[in-house]
Amino acid sequence: MLSKSQARWFFIGGTVFFSAIFIFLTIDTLREIPARQNSDQMTASVVRGKMIWDESNCMGCHTILGEGAYYAPELTKVVDRRGAAWIAIFLKDPQAMFPGKRRMVQYDFDEGQIQDVIAFLDWIGKIDTNGFPPEPDLAPATLVSLRAEQAAVAPPQYFSTVCIACHSVADNGGTVGPALDGVGNRMTSAELDRWLSDPQAVKPGTAMPNLGLAEPTRAELVAWLAGLK
Amino acid sequence: MKFRSQRVAYLFFATSMLLFLLQIVFGFIMGFAHMGFDVLHDYIPFNAARTSHLNLLVVWLLCGFMGAAYYIVPEEADRELYSEKLAVVQWAALVIVAVTALIGFQFGWWEGRKFLEIPRPLDYLVVIDVLLFIFNVGMTAWNGKRFTTTSIVLLLGLTAAALLYLPGMITFDSQVIDSYFRWWVVHLWVEGVWELIMGAIMAFLLIKLTGIDREVIEKWLYVIVGFTFLSGILGTGHHYYYIGTPEYWLWIGGIFSALEPLAFLGMALYAVTMARRGGMNHPNRVALFWTVGCGVMSFVGAGFLGFAHTLPQVNLWTHGTIITAMHGHMAFWGAYVMVVLAMITYALPQMTGRKLFDGWMPEWAFWICNIGMLGMTGAFAVAGIAQVYMERKIGMDFLAVQEAVEVHFGGVVLAACLLTVGVLMFVFNFIQYGLPNDEAVAGS
Repeated sequence: MLSKSQARWFFIGGTVFFSAIFIFLTIDTLREIPARQNSDQMTASVVRGKMIWDESNCMGCHTILGEGAYYAPELTKVVDRRGAAWIAIFLKDPQAMFPGKRRMVQYDFDEGQIQDVIAFLDWIGKIDTNGFPPEPDLAPATLVSLRAEQAAVAPPQYFSTVCIACHSVADNGGTVGPALDGVGNRMTSAELDRWLSDPQAVKPGTAMPNLGLAEPTRAELVAWLAGLK
Repeated sequence: MKFRSQRVAYLFFATSMLLFLLQIVFGFIMGFAHMGFDVLHDYIPFNAARTSHLNLLVVWLLCGFMGAAYYIVPEEADRELYSEKLAVVQWAALVIVAVTALIGFQFGWWEGRKFLEIPRPLDYLVVIDVLLFIFNVGMTAWNGKRFTTTSIVLLLGLTAAALLYLPGMITFDSQVIDSYFRWWVVHLWVEGVWELIMGAIMAFLLIKLTGIDREVIEKWLYVIVGFTFLSGILGTGHHYYYIGTPEYWLWIGGIFSALEPLAFLGMALYAVTMARRGGMNHPNRVALFWTVGCGVMSFVGAGFLGFAHTLPQVNLWTHGTIITAMHGHMAFWGAYVMVVLAMITYALPQMTGRKLFDGWMPEWAFWICNIGMLGMTGAFAVAGIAQVYMERKIGMDFLAVQEAVEVHFGGVVLAACLLTVGVLMFVFNFIQYGLPNDEAVAGS
């Protein structure tokens, strides 16, 4: 039977041995991280973005690289998913994008800070994370085919990155705002243009935010939406 | 109690109880927010409640460990505490830091790094405070009549915990490296050196409560903490799967995390066999309940439920979901909350000389707390599994999934109410005992 001094040596020996391996692996990990995290792309803006991330305690609600709290979305690939344009609008007034839904703290970031946060999130999204977050592998086949069909219609990029967060076309998109199938039958180009320029002027109290669209983007959207019949 | 100065532990235990209750309050705020009632959003937003909930847990557990050390070390060393005054000063400093941090959190004074949100200036005060504490118990043990294995393991755990706090105080520009070293603190604490503290407290309690020979208990203590480090150090790898660290962590983390339950299984078997072999003859039966319960529940929460989502193939889907909260609650409860409550249940009659452990209330508190916590874990598990399938596997929108699982947070809150009833009974019993009493000192 094991004696007490043998037990003690098992403890000391195991601890020293595995600590040594751990230190060795740490040194190797620190050597490999620069390539995996694209250190060359860590601009001053990215570093400022991380400071804003920490100071605002974003991890207190969100997860990033799967770490944080589980109250708000995982943000590792958020720039791929939403696009920088959408995030910039969202951060100005989080409430406007999801009226009546779970609330985010209004941080009143200025334009520079918003760009820093986006730069940070964009950098995060490019880290080699061994495949996290994974692509959904049980997504219904219909969703996939709808996406393909929608691609054939070729919506403007702004629609696929920003509008789609709240509105759906062919059952693909958000449910905050109304579905836009057949919107071309209900509204003329002029009405669509007036609506997109200033939703509040057309329908006071609407949850639709004024997106401050540039003229060419708005024209492109109006032309495409008017064609949805 | 054997020595008068052991009474200083009472201050720490009482503080623990108070902070524990506050922790529960913040937990309810979050539970309601998850149910869709974030009514306090403008005053205590979710991130403030969450930070308060986590840090209160850490502080009150550390406070409980300190109290336990102030009680155990003099008794093991067979002498009075090196300095009771220093212990009181150290206690006051700890309370000031904790209260400042808690108030600061409500105004956004924090670091935003999960578990280590305490702002940097306060970090330095924490370090000084912990050094004072280790100096005090260290001198007591060093100058003592005997230096037992229980003392050695306890002091080793406390000192290592203090040292491992330091990597969390370095500033890194990279989120990846920041995260890498943040886990040195968090993982190596809870799945490493804290287990030494837990094992040592359990050893002390088992020696006192079962009357089994110290040599036998302490031999197994070495074996268990041996397994802890054997698996736990490289088990840190399960935090390095998907944060930008090399691929080899997937299999190193996977293999060694799979071994981590062994240490907790050891803890459970050890408590159960010692209690059975020694007979349940000690009058303070409920202290033995908490001690054995701690061994069993730590295996369920930390060992089994940890293993349930630690394999890389599973963790790819569950990483960063409510599944983590499910495991976290039960693990902290079983391993660390219960060991502190066990210590308090044992020490209070000794310190106050009153034997209030016979009534129905202490045992009911034990069962109600544990059933409440099991219920919470179950509700978290259902919400978590639903979230993994809907959001991660099928690709549904985050908010739509959160609305779908709101109902399960109703379950979490209900079970939490049960837990709260149990905790209030425990605290009521604590207050009934009154203050430490000089007549309780042996031989006085």
